[in-house]
Amino acid sequence: MTQADVELPAGLDQAFGAVAGELGQATSSWLFVRAVARCAGDRAVEGLADTAGPQFVVLDAVARGWLAGVREQVVDPRPVLEAIGSATRLVVVGVEATFLDALVARINPAVKIAMIAHSPFAVDWDRVLDNYGGRVERVDLDTFQHWAGGKSALLTFAYGQNDSRTIVAPLWLRACGADVRAQFRALVGWNVLEAPMNLYPRWLVEVDVDSFTHFVPGT
Amino acid sequence: MQAPQLILPALLVVTLVIQAIWPRYRLLVVLGGAGASCLATSVLGLGHAAQLLSDVPWDVLVILVGLGLVSEVLVESRVFGVMAMRACRWSGADPRKISLLFAVGMYSHGGLVNNLTALLLILPMLLGLYKLVGVTQRYVTWSIGLLLVACNLGGAATPIGDFPAVLLLGGGKMTFTAYLVRALPTTLVGLVILVTLVVYGVRPERGLSKSPVSAAITVDTMTALYRNVRVDRRMLVPAAAALSAMIVADKGATPELICWIGAGAALLVRPSLGERLIRRKVDMEAVLFLLGLFVMVVAVRRSGVFGSVARGLVALPIPPVAQLVVFVLSAGLLTALFSAGPSMASLLEVGDVLARVHPPNAVYVGLALGVCAGSSLFTTAATSGPLAQALTERADLRDAEGRPLRFGFVEFLPVGILSFVVIEAIAIGYCLLAVQRGW
Repeated sequence: MTQADVELPAGLDQAFGAVAGELGQATSSWLFVRAVARCAGDRAVEGLADTAGPQFVVLDAVARGWLAGVREQVVDPRPVLEAIGSATRLVVVGVEATFLDALVARINPAVKIAMIAHSPFAVDWDRVLDNYGGRVERVDLDTFQHWAGGKSALLTFAYGQNDSRTIVAPLWLRACGADVRAQFRALVGWNVLEAPMNLYPRWLVEVDVDSFTHFVPGT
Repeated sequence: MQAPQLILPALLVVTLVIQAIWPRYRLLVVLGGAGASCLATSVLGLGHAAQLLSDVPWDVLVILVGLGLVSEVLVESRVFGVMAMRACRWSGADPRKISLLFAVGMYSHGGLVNNLTALLLILPMLLGLYKLVGVTQRYVTWSIGLLLVACNLGGAATPIGDFPAVLLLGGGKMTFTAYLVRALPTTLVGLVILVTLVVYGVRPERGLSKSPVSAAITVDTMTALYRNVRVDRRMLVPAAAALSAMIVADKGATPELICWIGAGAALLVRPSLGERLIRRKVDMEAVLFLLGLFVMVVAVRRSGVFGSVARGLVALPIPPVAQLVVFVLSAGLLTALFSAGPSMASLLEVGDVLARVHPPNAVYVGLALGVCAGSSLFTTAATSGPLAQALTERADLRDAEGRPLRFGFVEFLPVGILSFVVIEAIAIGYCLLAVQRGW
């Protein structure tokens, strides 16, 4: 079979929207790009970027990166662990399954981890947390400040860096207001995207890299 | 006919009609109707509220609550999610195999946990799969329709699957095993026929593009969603043991006692979770609905009207076996109009009288199957129908062209008619065989 001849099915944007909230946009993008490349070849990856990319810009960036030769997702939690430092409590804002899995596997077991259960997409939060075997607790947007303190850190995932600007989930702005910033020891942004995005970041929002106390760039 | 024989059945029927018309107020309507029945029996000299309440089959309510909690423990064990993921991988995300596997899976789950729980567990996963696979209106209609009917059949397959069968078990009409050995094979035959007709006859996936890309994305995604999810055996084993212990009820201990102790033991495995489940997950809506219903049925029973209806049925100038057929058909049609709980609770009183003339097992299992057929005719006939509709609407499914996909009364009707005919035929066939062979 000539893989490039396989036609892309319609409705992939709907399919992506169904999982983006639960796995994270970068993790889902890599999953989609790999599956499309495996079944239909690189031309189909370009088609995926053209059809679903305008709506999901992280998918567009990952697909374009794939076509430019970036075939492996680099996941190194060590700089994040350094940024978190001696914090004993970590609140995660947003989901990126591949990155969070790696971080949870390496982090000191004494550190308590919570995730804010809030997303513009449909998410089965019980299933999200079941993947961490009780290691990650669920908190809500209006209760996560109970986790604040001098030994607490707030972490979110960032998508690309363009000079002093980066892209994050809007939840970060809602969670990390002026009142909250002073309550956490560290505000950590973890860039999980290799290349900056070229399109208007729908579903996401642009912030200053300086708004984080620690920004862990992609490789 | 005396006044109580007119007033009390009229109260029951009017209450059932109103709750069927305005299901959003059904608890208010049924509890109001129960209060009115108590008042009427007091005024008519047929007994005070305390006497009516003492006749309520509390053992059935204990079983209902106990089984509901055991279901929740099963849910916490994550066994259903892991099985759904494996089903997706086994099927290779082929739409036809998905329909087939999920229908069979829903039948199995429906036999173990109540229908609403089974649907709440399975349907969201399936709707998520639909978004990944990409589906059409035809596929949604027939595959979700088949799922609903499989859920009803599963509920009728075991004495713990749904409350019509729980009523039989709790009321001591049949033992656990006696019901299981008759209803399980019969409903299984119904499932095989329906699945064959739908999956291989109707072929819901007709018109769907079978893309290897969709299949790969679906399988990869499901694997990723459940990448580290494991079945919690600490929760699964006690829940499974509690369900298995129901069979022991045949050997001395009564089913409500087994259920009470079994559910308690399963919840004690993790006390904090057990306490949370008891406080938050007991289906009070179902308990109060059935309580109101039982009070009304007890009131009607005291008027003697059920006995009159049954005697009228037995006196029909038709062969005895034809009386059973009429009974089973009536059960189906009444259930389609008034839903399973009310129909079963009322007709069971008639069934008790018929069971003196006909083999009791034929009457009771025939009744349960007739109720199952009726539950499958309209989406409004069972609470799982509106739930399926609500979940589908919430999922905001769309076809490849972006048109919204629906699942409601009209969409389900062809599936319902087919299912009603098949299950009624199976129920009547069972009754005929049971009478002929003395089963």
